[in-house]
Amino acid sequence: MSKGLLDGKTALVTGGSRGLGRAMCEVFAREGARVAFNYSRSEEDARETLEHLRAAGLDAWAFQASVLDKTGLRAMVAQIEERTGSIDILVNNAGIGQVVPLALMEEDDWDRMMDVHVKGAFLTTQAVLRGMVRQKRGRILNIGSLAGVKMIDAPVHYSAAKAALKGFTEALAKEIGRYGITVNCLAPGVLDEGVSQNLPKHRQEDYINHCALRRIGTSAEVAEVAAFVVSDRNSYMNGATIVVDGAV
Amino acid sequence: MDCQSCDAGSERADRPHTFLLHEPSHCEACGRDVEARIVLRDGEVFALKFCPPCGQTEAKVSDDADAYVRELIAHGDVPANQAGDHLFKHTTSTCPECLDLVQAKVVIRSGQVFFKKDCAKCGPSEALVSEDSSYYVRAYGAARAGTEPHKFGSTVKAGCPTDCGTCGDHEQHTCLPIIEITDHCNLECPVCIVNNQYSNHMTTADFSKVIDRLIEAEGTLESIALSGGEPTSHPLLLDLIRIATRDEIGRIVIITNGLQLDGFSPETHEKIRGRDLTDEKNAALLALEELDIPTQLIFVAARGINEHQIGQAVELLLAKDHILSLNFQPVAHTGRGGGNLEHDPMDRLTIPGVIRRIDEQTHGKLKTSDFTPLPCSHPQCVSLTYILRLDDGSYLPFARFADFKKHGNLLRSSATLASTREMHDILQDVIYDVFADQDKIERGADALRALRRTVDVMFPDRLLTPHEAIRIGEQQAKSIFLHHYMDRHDFDLERLRKCCHHYAQVDGRLMPACGFNMFHRGAAKGESMPLSGLGTPPSSTPYLSGSRSDNAEPGTAKARLKVLNQ
Repeated sequence: MSKGLLDGKTALVTGGSRGLGRAMCEVFAREGARVAFNYSRSEEDARETLEHLRAAGLDAWAFQASVLDKTGLRAMVAQIEERTGSIDILVNNAGIGQVVPLALMEEDDWDRMMDVHVKGAFLTTQAVLRGMVRQKRGRILNIGSLAGVKMIDAPVHYSAAKAALKGFTEALAKEIGRYGITVNCLAPGVLDEGVSQNLPKHRQEDYINHCALRRIGTSAEVAEVAAFVVSDRNSYMNGATIVVDGAV
Repeated sequence: MDCQSCDAGSERADRPHTFLLHEPSHCEACGRDVEARIVLRDGEVFALKFCPPCGQTEAKVSDDADAYVRELIAHGDVPANQAGDHLFKHTTSTCPECLDLVQAKVVIRSGQVFFKKDCAKCGPSEALVSEDSSYYVRAYGAARAGTEPHKFGSTVKAGCPTDCGTCGDHEQHTCLPIIEITDHCNLECPVCIVNNQYSNHMTTADFSKVIDRLIEAEGTLESIALSGGEPTSHPLLLDLIRIATRDEIGRIVIITNGLQLDGFSPETHEKIRGRDLTDEKNAALLALEELDIPTQLIFVAARGINEHQIGQAVELLLAKDHILSLNFQPVAHTGRGGGNLEHDPMDRLTIPGVIRRIDEQTHGKLKTSDFTPLPCSHPQCVSLTYILRLDDGSYLPFARFADFKKHGNLLRSSATLASTREMHDILQDVIYDVFADQDKIERGADALRALRRTVDVMFPDRLLTPHEAIRIGEQQAKSIFLHHYMDRHDFDLERLRKCCHHYAQVDGRLMPACGFNMFHRGAAKGESMPLSGLGTPPSSTPYLSGSRSDNAEPGTAKARLKVLNQ
């Protein structure tokens, strides 16, 4: 029997009900992890993801909790730890997309974008980190974006938030490396689902024209990389941002 | 003011080994009885011996240093059915009558530790050295490698303590140099451990020589202490402070009897300081508070005299913002005062006894378990606790949320928290430990909030001047130190070996404190005590015997003392 990359691990994926989040839940579970994910509003998607995982005989739990709700996050983490003993892997994936030029951007637009991506990652990480520090091991993966590392056509607040996650990754990796916890960032290019779907068609076409592989990526492709990054086989990568964009 | 200068930022090198203890041995070449220094090096244990005619030798004792220390500590467990004394180890002490070095059996009796000695000239004697054998035995687990000075002051010729100065076999550098700038004093304290002659104030030229020598030996010093006599009686004190105000010296400490607070009643003052100082002490404390001067108080604790007021001193420390540190010193029966003070060597205060009284008298605000031996000196010499101020004004001892074994460098650094890179890293480790286990730790969430405040002020987004860094750091946590100086009863050569409080002499020698008081100052049993035949005679310190200060006016302080006493 082949050994899964994530056998015996417990992973928490934020925003795991659809898109890249769901893909990661599926790949992680396939690789032997018990998977928990949260969702904010899309209960139907969450149920679908959960049913899909459980139908395959995999351990999975879904929680309705906003990544901006400290109390809810704490309760979710406590429940997961109670059920599984520990959280070994955290993927800060929850995110939103919004295409709006800076000239029309409202302060609320900016705040919401920064809150969900950056503050959400901070609050979730803080809630999960206690257990990881106790265990002196853990894997944290932040889902950034090509828009946060390269100069491409993307909404300013989205690029700023994703760039902030890169900085968050690097500083946190430095700070908690001594506890055996690695922190990395995955920066996908345009994908076939999720926030990429908000892009106007001409921008998707521009992307494909500039991509060496001449296509957009799939969530499943990125999820496969993510599974390796958070596995024990990836033991020396820390503070890195891995671009998965087909070469743009 | 203990161990202010051992921080890892120093360019001084660590000793090549961790000194653990002394044990009786013999020279392999000539068979002469010598002491062996048992040291831990690279995971193994070695016996280092010095025989004056034959020189230095070393022999491996064990392949496993950890196991050796574990076995040593386990040897402190007294079998349940054992009657009589339990022999823990041997060491070298002094005959309380003639001061000859004699072998001592370190025995455990009814939960306490005693030295049993037998002097060939004077006969047997016993002395209490620790009121808690468990504390005493476990302290050996705290031993840590010392640091070397840039330059030793003497060479190894006759062995310890004769070669004091310090010699190359001394196991710790000068953490706190003490410079006795005068032998005048306005008090004749019954607990005084020196022997004031009322003959001299150190000249500025001699003082400069001492400072130069200290910097040559140590490079940088976090603190130097000016003592005496009463240092404030020196007519050129401000000139001396100006001379010592150098980049290499972080802080100048004045050890004045004005900051010795040994009790709160006329009776204790009279017994400890020779007269009722209640009004003067209260006035001094008030002035310090009004001027918000960071203050460390010294409390010399004596059995049957002021032991019942130990808790009150701790309460004062906790109540007053400007009092940052309290230093308990169980009285040492040496010197003109202490040597003559009536005492029972079998029933006296020791470090764990003072700790127990703190616990009892503060009703557990500070517990016995909050204190830990300071590993950079000999672990039997100093014990300490740091206390973190919480946001509601109450205090939480560090030991309740920080593992001193794990964060050993926290103890190494300072009596107060220093705003250094090393301290930043240690604090971060402590913070993450509390963060991870805050539900299990007493007042974990409160401790985290206080640590957050501490980090904010100690590491602001601007460069702190060294003075600011010290000032801010010292306000974040209070400390209680207990330092037990030795006397003819409980003298332990192994403790002297790692002494880090050194009297700086004009002739360049840096004299480990208790060795100087016992053998080289010549006053171990009061003024009538003949000099020991064991060490070299007391140094002919130039400032005492020859180069008297032009400003010195012998008798002046004595005359003033009479006026004060009228």
